[in-house]
Amino acid sequence: MKIRIIPTVLFNKSNCVKGKQFKSWRVCGNITQVIKLYSLRQVDEIIFIDISANKNSINFRLIDEFADECFMPITVGGGVKSLYDIEKLLKVGADRVCLNSSFFYKPEILDQAIKHFGSQCLVLSIDYKKILDKNYVFVDCGETNTKLDLEEYLKKAIDYNPGEIILTSIENDGMMNGYDHKTIYEVNEKFSQNFIISGGMSCSKDIAKIHGKTKIKAYSMSSIFHYTENTPLSIKEELKELGLEVRI
Amino acid sequence: MTIKRCKICILPSSKPDLEFNSNGVCQGCLAYQNRKNIDWKSREEKFKEIIQKYKKNNNYDCIIPVSGGKDSHYQVIKCLEHDLNPLCITASTDKLSELGRYNIENLKKIGVDHIEVSTNPVIRRKINKFTLKTIGDISWAEHLTIFTIPFKFSCSFNIPLLIWGENPQNENGGPLERESEIELNRAWLEEFGGLLGLRVTDLADILKLKKKELELYTFPSSEELKANKTFGIFLGQFFKWDGHKNAETASKFGFKTYEKELEGSIVNYENLDNVQMRIHDYFKYLKFGYDRVTDWCCWHIRRGRLNREEALNLENDKSGKYPSEYLGYSLGDILEEINCTQKEFDEICDAFTNKEIFKCDNSGNLIKNKDKSLIKNF
Amino acid sequence: MNKILVIDYNAGNVDSVIKAVKIFNSNVIFSKNLADLDNCSKIILPGQGTYDVAIKELKENGLYEKIIYKTNKENIPILGICLGMQILSSFGYENNLKTTGLNLIPGKVIKLKDNPSKLPHIGWTSVKFVKTDKIFKDIDSEKDFYFIHSYKYIALDKKNTIASSFYNENFSSIVKYENVYGVQFHPEKSLGNGLKLIENFLNL
Repeated sequence: MKIRIIPTVLFNKSNCVKGKQFKSWRVCGNITQVIKLYSLRQVDEIIFIDISANKNSINFRLIDEFADECFMPITVGGGVKSLYDIEKLLKVGADRVCLNSSFFYKPEILDQAIKHFGSQCLVLSIDYKKILDKNYVFVDCGETNTKLDLEEYLKKAIDYNPGEIILTSIENDGMMNGYDHKTIYEVNEKFSQNFIISGGMSCSKDIAKIHGKTKIKAYSMSSIFHYTENTPLSIKEELKELGLEVRI
Repeated sequence: MTIKRCKICILPSSKPDLEFNSNGVCQGCLAYQNRKNIDWKSREEKFKEIIQKYKKNNNYDCIIPVSGGKDSHYQVIKCLEHDLNPLCITASTDKLSELGRYNIENLKKIGVDHIEVSTNPVIRRKINKFTLKTIGDISWAEHLTIFTIPFKFSCSFNIPLLIWGENPQNENGGPLERESEIELNRAWLEEFGGLLGLRVTDLADILKLKKKELELYTFPSSEELKANKTFGIFLGQFFKWDGHKNAETASKFGFKTYEKELEGSIVNYENLDNVQMRIHDYFKYLKFGYDRVTDWCCWHIRRGRLNREEALNLENDKSGKYPSEYLGYSLGDILEEINCTQKEFDEICDAFTNKEIFKCDNSGNLIKNKDKSLIKNF
Repeated sequence: MNKILVIDYNAGNVDSVIKAVKIFNSNVIFSKNLADLDNCSKIILPGQGTYDVAIKELKENGLYEKIIYKTNKENIPILGICLGMQILSSFGYENNLKTTGLNLIPGKVIKLKDNPSKLPHIGWTSVKFVKTDKIFKDIDSEKDFYFIHSYKYIALDKKNTIASSFYNENFSSIVKYENVYGVQFHPEKSLGNGLKLIENFLNL
């Protein structure tokens, strides 16, 4: 199975943004240019998350516009609260829809959505932070501590059988210091779900390290493409040199 | 994210990397206010300390990357005042205006060695069209080569010290922790150099250009830079920076300004060389809702040359005009050279316009005035 | 008359399929009207969701019989994508039900093996051509296409498998019988090679 390198594009209205540990958000460009560029680069997949949709409403028009640019799979999330939201997102061009906070507040939505649309088009996103040596799940874009332990939360999530789970370390996010491999190894030991790892990627060796020790095949990153000379292709070329299977 | 403006100047929060404090004051203003707390004397001493080391160099003491503009003149004059023996390097702009040529020649007459490095115009124009279409920036290659070319020559000629002008993160309000940096290196370029996520490797990959054809667009390797002990510094971190004052200084040395107010600006003494500049600046407006007019208003406000109300009026009056001409060149002529039709250009403009900050009709289409200008909704 | 019909049977994200087809032929309609089946030159059957629900939808709209008629009796070319490919089979065994399919390419659809790698199979996987076909024009064998599925198609007649891939086991990635094609991957999401395949189908 080839490793998937998946850029995550966070946006707030028409601006592409990036933060550090879910804070200090910087506008890093106009979203049209970011999408056109990734599209031209023919990346494996893109994850789009609207970080403001939780407090406002989903910008279907914008998503429709940028879905038109993409001939690779796109996963769209941010503020998804109802079956109507999911249906409309799929209609405007999302291949998969991502749920985050709504699973915490209304878990039955995932169940209903899977029954209605199939697990293939549903992805669950879980953000977590370490507090006193334990990982806790946070929702509302990192603002609300659910006080639930990550593993407990995962156990519950897996019962619902989402197609894939995006696991993001809030502490590592945007820091470009490597993924949270300790937690990732633990999760990999206990759960055999399809995971996408996110938060902290700094170079291709970060991926090689985790790939060598786990079954994880999908990796997401954001900051390194906004702020360093790395591109999705350069990362893949380096991974290929390290002996990993990628699509080039 | 409702667009808010700085309480002191008028920069909007839609500007990338602009930070505000809890009083709604932007980092650009805070950095400027902080200048009075800066011990400029000791900064100058620090500058002298740094250059002392490099005066021991075998050949030139430093490279000054220059465009021939007001800031370039100021940088050269300042360096000569400090007894430096510089090599001035100009990374040629794609379409150099007559006035731009005049000013480059004038700069040389101050008394410096000068190299002008131009990229293959056929490839350059291909790249310019591509970047205009893909990332809405006709000047991407320009912004890259004004850094890569001097760094390349720094390594090839063994001139480790490069003296740049202002630190834009300080001057224009970048992330808090970065505004006092004195060094310009590759990491800085990737993050703040205006590359908009596009990288040279993308050009090779997407435009099918050979790596060899992109030599001047490619940064030297980290090994080369290390071996050369390359060190790029911002002059603006050691001496109080003021673009307007730089123009006055430059004029005393023969620098020529434009005969009238520049189109799309409120001054006549900057960006006189690059004919495509107007298009570049227009896209900034389409994406973020502000342009050079806004920038100048803010610089003037901070230095007490304009008050906020005057600035808002001026911006309202002069900002956001469709780029029909610049420095006497028509848009049609400029576009023809990069093989772009007027229709294509307008489509590209629309594709990059941020619909959250400009008024749209009920069908989601942008509302345009007769002169093709848009209407801001903040 | 060169009208392409993309069948509407509530099968998830069809926007991408329509967008991809439009690149090559702007005369595309997205419909569940039986009348539109009469006027088209080619049919595309997209698909996301489950086998039983998909067949139920087709039957409720009267499309089930008409599609079979058009392809068998009038030889209208049809391309089934992902679930759309799977329902071309005789039977599907999703959701613990046995559902009768369109039976346009005899075979059955059962769950993929789920180890060592977890299901669904998501990602870019190599598609190896095992026969030559017009639909492969200008596409190299063993190129990657995008898959997302948990079920596989087992063609009754091995000759009907014209390309195969591997995920925990070998499975048919493309099936074909005369004017009927089924692709397990999403060509509309597989960048250049996927778009080429769609173009080739439209040019048949």
